[in-house]
Amino acid sequence: MEGEMIIRSSDEVPRVTALKRFPVPRNFGMTPASQIERGKIWPAPDGATRVQKFEIYRYDPDSGGNPRIDTYAVDLDTCGPMVLDALIKIKNEIDSTLTFRRSCREGICGSCSMNIDGTNWLACTRFISDTAEPATIYPLNHLRVIKDLVPDLTHLYAQYALIEPWLQTTTPEPEKERLQSREDRSKLDGSYECILCFCCTAGCPSHWWNGNRFLGPAVLLQAYRWLADSRDQATGERLDNLEDPFRLYRCHTILNCTRTCPKGLNPGKAIASIKKMIVERKS
Amino acid sequence: MADRERPLSPDLQIYRPQLTSVLSITHRLTGVALSLGSPVLVCWLIAAAAGPSVYATLHGFLGSRLGLVLLFGWTYALFFHLCNGIRHLFWDAGHGFELRTIYASGWTVVAASAMLTLAAWIISFSVHG
Amino acid sequence: MQRVTAVALVPLTLWLVVSLFARARSDYGAFILWLRTPFTTILMTLLLIALFYHMALGLRVVVEDYVHTERMKIPAVVVIHLGCFALAVAGIVATLRIAFGG
Repeated sequence: MEGEMIIRSSDEVPRVTALKRFPVPRNFGMTPASQIERGKIWPAPDGATRVQKFEIYRYDPDSGGNPRIDTYAVDLDTCGPMVLDALIKIKNEIDSTLTFRRSCREGICGSCSMNIDGTNWLACTRFISDTAEPATIYPLNHLRVIKDLVPDLTHLYAQYALIEPWLQTTTPEPEKERLQSREDRSKLDGSYECILCFCCTAGCPSHWWNGNRFLGPAVLLQAYRWLADSRDQATGERLDNLEDPFRLYRCHTILNCTRTCPKGLNPGKAIASIKKMIVERKS
Repeated sequence: MADRERPLSPDLQIYRPQLTSVLSITHRLTGVALSLGSPVLVCWLIAAAAGPSVYATLHGFLGSRLGLVLLFGWTYALFFHLCNGIRHLFWDAGHGFELRTIYASGWTVVAASAMLTLAAWIISFSVHG
Repeated sequence: MQRVTAVALVPLTLWLVVSLFARARSDYGAFILWLRTPFTTILMTLLLIALFYHMALGLRVVVEDYVHTERMKIPAVVVIHLGCFALAVAGIVATLRIAFGG
């Protein structure tokens, strides 16, 4: 649990850890194919003074084996400051088979989302100095692993398509733009900035247990983005689509989502707003 | 091309326990614990209606070491579920979703439930001896 | 209804806890006298109704979250609803018997 008493924003990294993980066995409840074995320990580079160890989840679909944890030692003096820099350095200099998604290296594309030291964040905006020794890196939680740190996001994208993330109107198209006041536009603040990295959804226990039907915080945040858009005219139909014991109401306000969002957004609040909209339209 | 089942990445096994998730699961566990204790309340009412001898048997059990431990546990479960429940009701109204408030209210619930439990038991023992 | 019963339960459970702790050392006669007052009877009945309704809804959500096989889920939810109803009736009948009994 966290050492800082009051966390003010999601990028605060706790200094004190009472409990690194829930006290369950390492491979608790995992199918035989998913159980993680001990892997290779790679040697430290010669002559390096500042070395940090990284324990990284590996899975090779071609080898037919189980997933394992490989331990790498990285010379921090010749490495960039971010966890992504360390991963790229490992891939370039130590083990070229290490596989992960990455693109912008500045926290805007959402590709490099993964579980670092137990919580989900973007590798390119997590400082190595904020990680533990050894740093533990896993793919996003409760997702099928394609290879190493690359999870299969197909189902999550399908859930996103389900909420119809485009403007739906009944009135005819105006000559120029559909106008929107500054005040109405500000209602989208906190929702439109989502980069669909899925850190929140992968950290939601309700999505772990009911992810086949529960939409999850990322998708519901985007659902709220379209509900809050003054130009959209399908609010009723959108709410009908969401008002379901599983699609929306598996959210029990656990709030892991808000705690872990690397962009500082608040999916928990957006979901509460959707629930309020549903109650208000009944009365 | 691998046609065997892809492994599932770990979730509960490696995710860091945070105030958010820990208080949430404790809310659920205390709810279930209270559910298991509610028949005792009904038994107590039935025993009171049945007469002094039946009541005395139940009262004897509740006053035993095991009974007192259970009652203490249920009192804590009640106060925790009550305080966190009020926190939930604030969320339903749409308030208290900023991270700072989530954490402040969370720690308040932890402190308040512990203090209420201790206060209730200490006052009860000191008043009655 | 989960929220409505929750709001009702805040004062009702506080009343119960305070009342029970205040009378922790009372003897049987004193308890019966207290339970017999109309105020106590009414509040106890309201508490039992709100408590078991809230409990049924809450346990139902827990089952829906963790039990995924339809074969187990539906009987579990039925048992929970029936059990809570039975407990509520038992509690209310006992309360009324104390209030109106000889």
